[in-house]
Amino acid sequence: MTIRLTINGIGFELPDSRGSETLLDFLHGELNLTGTKLCCGIGVCRACTVQVVKPPSLAPTPTISCSTALSTLDGTQVSTIESVARDGQPDAVQQAFLDHFAFQCGYCAPGFVMAARIFLSGLQAQPVPPEKLEAAMMEAIGSHICRCTGYVRYFEALRGLAEAVNAGEAIEL
Amino acid sequence: MPALSASDAARISRRSFLKTATGVVALRVLGLPCPAAAAAPERPSALGPVPGVAAQRVEGLAKVTGQKIYARDFHARDMAGWPDRQWHALYIRARSTQEAFLGLDLAALPPEATPTRVILGSDLDPALFDAEVQFNRDLHVDDLLANKTEEQKKAAKGGSFNLPDGLSFDLLVMPGTTPNFLGQAVALLLFDSLSGYRAARRFLAGDDGIVQRYGPGAGPEGTPLPDQPFDPRTLYVKAPGFDYAGVDAETYTREAPGVQARIRKSLDAATGLIRQPIRAEMRAMDPMFMEPEAGLAWIDPSSNDMQLVLGTQSPDGDVRNIGSMFGSAGSPIPDLQGVTLHSCYPGGGFGGRDSSPFSLMLALAVAFAEGNPVRLAYDRFEQFRVGLKRHATSAQGTLYAHDDMRLEAVQLEMSFDGGGRRNLSPYVASLGALCAGGSYRLPMADIHAEALHTENISGGSQRGFGGPQAYFAIETALDDLAAAQGWDPLALRRANLIAEGDTTVTGGPIEQSLSLPEMLDMAEAHPLWAERSAIKAAHEAEGRSYGTGLAMSLQAYGTSGDGMVAAVHLERDGTLTVQSDAVDMGNGSATTLGVTIGPILGANAARVEMGGYRLFPQTGLSDDSSNPKRWHDPMWTQKGTGSSSACLTGLHQVNTVQQVAQALLGGSLLVAAAKLWGKGPLKPEDVVWEHGALRPVEGPGEPLTLAGLAEVIHDLGLPTGALGHAYFQNQWVEADYDTQGGTLRLQLDGLAYYHGSKTAPQPIPRANGQYPAPETARYSRYVWAPCVNVVGLTLDRATGIVQVENVLSVLNAGHIHVPELVSGQSQGGVAMAIGYSLLEDMPPGMEGPADGRWNLNRYHVSRAGDVPLKTRYAPGARAQELIILPPPPGSPRVGRGIAEAVMCSIPPAISNALRDATGLRFASLPITPEKILEGLSP
Repeated sequence: MTIRLTINGIGFELPDSRGSETLLDFLHGELNLTGTKLCCGIGVCRACTVQVVKPPSLAPTPTISCSTALSTLDGTQVSTIESVARDGQPDAVQQAFLDHFAFQCGYCAPGFVMAARIFLSGLQAQPVPPEKLEAAMMEAIGSHICRCTGYVRYFEALRGLAEAVNAGEAIEL
Repeated sequence: MPALSASDAARISRRSFLKTATGVVALRVLGLPCPAAAAAPERPSALGPVPGVAAQRVEGLAKVTGQKIYARDFHARDMAGWPDRQWHALYIRARSTQEAFLGLDLAALPPEATPTRVILGSDLDPALFDAEVQFNRDLHVDDLLANKTEEQKKAAKGGSFNLPDGLSFDLLVMPGTTPNFLGQAVALLLFDSLSGYRAARRFLAGDDGIVQRYGPGAGPEGTPLPDQPFDPRTLYVKAPGFDYAGVDAETYTREAPGVQARIRKSLDAATGLIRQPIRAEMRAMDPMFMEPEAGLAWIDPSSNDMQLVLGTQSPDGDVRNIGSMFGSAGSPIPDLQGVTLHSCYPGGGFGGRDSSPFSLMLALAVAFAEGNPVRLAYDRFEQFRVGLKRHATSAQGTLYAHDDMRLEAVQLEMSFDGGGRRNLSPYVASLGALCAGGSYRLPMADIHAEALHTENISGGSQRGFGGPQAYFAIETALDDLAAAQGWDPLALRRANLIAEGDTTVTGGPIEQSLSLPEMLDMAEAHPLWAERSAIKAAHEAEGRSYGTGLAMSLQAYGTSGDGMVAAVHLERDGTLTVQSDAVDMGNGSATTLGVTIGPILGANAARVEMGGYRLFPQTGLSDDSSNPKRWHDPMWTQKGTGSSSACLTGLHQVNTVQQVAQALLGGSLLVAAAKLWGKGPLKPEDVVWEHGALRPVEGPGEPLTLAGLAEVIHDLGLPTGALGHAYFQNQWVEADYDTQGGTLRLQLDGLAYYHGSKTAPQPIPRANGQYPAPETARYSRYVWAPCVNVVGLTLDRATGIVQVENVLSVLNAGHIHVPELVSGQSQGGVAMAIGYSLLEDMPPGMEGPADGRWNLNRYHVSRAGDVPLKTRYAPGARAQELIILPPPPGSPRVGRGIAEAVMCSIPPAISNALRDATGLRFASLPITPEKILEGLSP
């Protein structure tokens, strides 16, 4: 058996013997992609969140890379924080986080970025009633742990984007 | 001295030399390792084009795009000039302090997890244990130690290198002896492959006891004994005519016990005084910074230079201690020539990376790695198990008041659980003792604080540094006093506010504007407080218990003597570079320092280099404490540099950078401008920056851009940069400096100018210096960040679950440089305080994280749902509103401490709010649902 997956658009074929290895260990150890962060290592803090698409569904899902075995990722498309900025230019979420001083030490920021992008993609596909937007945001990033900021500025940054996207404004993600 | 690569030589931030038993060890601190430094984007506009205004964090893009900037991101393969191989280190940790550690039994390990090397305490040369390691913080506390006789110090000396001043426990437990504390390393396992290391980690996860053997043996070695205090203890006795600050150390030590006895006797005998018990208990708290400690180390065989990659709040102290440790006789690296630290952005700090033993453990590992780079990376379980904690604390005493609300005295015993290592615990206890005086005028005080050595995880520097514990004790007692007497809690506080001209419990004078009455007025007028009865009634009408609590704090910031160094460079293209010895833990120091020069030099910094280069040694100053001339020597200063904390940025680092910018303005830019305008000598008030150009306030003169000035400055050989060192001890040292622009009076005790080169500035001798009186160190602290917090919360009586609905923080933060950073720091302080008060429950002993099984599934920190997310109070909504006092007109453009100031008085405000809701005092933190339900039960 072989595990086939793509990471940031690059295909990998791994022997089944590596199936128990976590995605985060693979990103760090094999690919030297260290933008995805280890914090708790047990899937609680969500600092290690990456985006995973598993065809035939095209919907991206937030995935806890510290607790996801490679064996479960056969056939998936994984995107990490390193895939987000284009030519060094931050995407809309990253720029909003910068503009709002949303993070401090920044260690949790990549996880928030990935979760926020997936949330906004979902909103683009299926807007929610405005009165439910706050709860939807809480559902999307409310479980992420940030020790520095008290979350206020993350929510302020995301709120502006979410309201725009929910109102039908096009934002490239 | 070992040779450096060209790239490293260009990045040297500091270099100094440490005399050791075996010779001289060179100490260096560099910026980020080369790959990240190269990857760091050159974005001159990152701070924005408006001088003094930050558009975003200067390092924000690197963080939000996941670039390599944290120590954990780096492997040997990332390091220029390092071998492309790497060993991995894993420490086995003590699980008992009742039995002797006898050794390891690795037979249970699966074959693939077999370590390449196993190092035990018996593998260390006993002579190595004599090395000096220093964790210093406060001049006045260190003076207490210095005053111990040499014989006392000798008697206290044990046999290890991991603790200062003779208080010593081994880094690796000697087999056959009993560990001094839980989590003390008993063995070092080294692996030459990542797979082997991971296999061992997996196997040992949750129970490394399976490979440890315990049994009868020798008792723990070293001093102090369990449950004995680390030296020194703090006693603040204040009575009319006698206090800590008013006499010298020797007199105080001799006379204080007698005065203390008289105070107690007079208070016992006094009639008419109201006696309010003070009783508070607080669990230890984990800083839970997001990046578990990690680092890389390698000894370059070509130079015998130990290279370290770390994210630390105390780079200077870390390299100095490592240099001392391995420069001693018996060192496993007998001919170590240097220690070089590649300083990374820490993934959070909160004090937990200040003087952390992690750096020593990493250095110890590389000493046995047979020339290979080695990586030590704690996982979260290990970080919980051994990372420095906020001290568990108990506080008990009595508050004495007159029936007209006037406070007469505070008597308090504070006991901090210092855990295994001394670290900074006595200093934390000392500041806690000062904070126990609260924000109040107290004619008499009898405050004793000590940090005990226990088997628990070591305490250390944490946000607030003893303040959270002290304010919880005093502010809950005040509310109880008010309730017992039927007084308004706010009126009781207002009747006793300390003000300029008063003295603290040390007897040190308050010489800074505090504006406490105005702050209380604002809190009182705010609807969250003014309408609290109506809000409560509305909640109760819907079946919810609701309470409002108020508390205030007067958090000191800085230490009793702080040295800072900074440089500002003007490049030929007109861009500016700021360099500072400070470390940015995420608090925004780099951003703040980058914009604070804007109004002075007409532009924000294009580059900010924290732990930057050309620091203290390049000033030409010496902080040799044995120099008999002291301030009479124009090249002497009291203190070079210290640890970094957020609270040091607002005033100390900012003022230093501003003064250096003034030196560059007066000693170079104005000289060039005068030449171009054909004018005589110019003073700063003769010019103004407007639309990016300098123009004269009066008279003709073409506007000059910074780029145009820079070109002239470089061509004429005028100073292209300035380097300054500042020292603050109740006042700034200030002095005259002769420059090409005339004599400048600056709040600096050292100044040097660069001319083109960035490596060899020319020192300018100081003259006409104004220096602090030595006795001011005994004030303990001089500057304050007051805060009043009001908390409104609901309580579900069925579950005991509390929800903080609203927080109002009224903060005197001085001048605000970057409002977004200040409010962000405040918001972070609120979240951390809510966690500390209600959620973060960490038992001592093997019931807690010392068992190696604790993680975020058991230790709960605040999440978004736990904190109010709106920023403007509105009835029915959850908000945390921050009101910042405007600085007095004409006051200096410097700030005050932030997050610790806000967080210190939130825990007592929460407890006071619960008292309002339930009529019950919950004085044990965290106030868990279990405690509440128990309290509510009939």
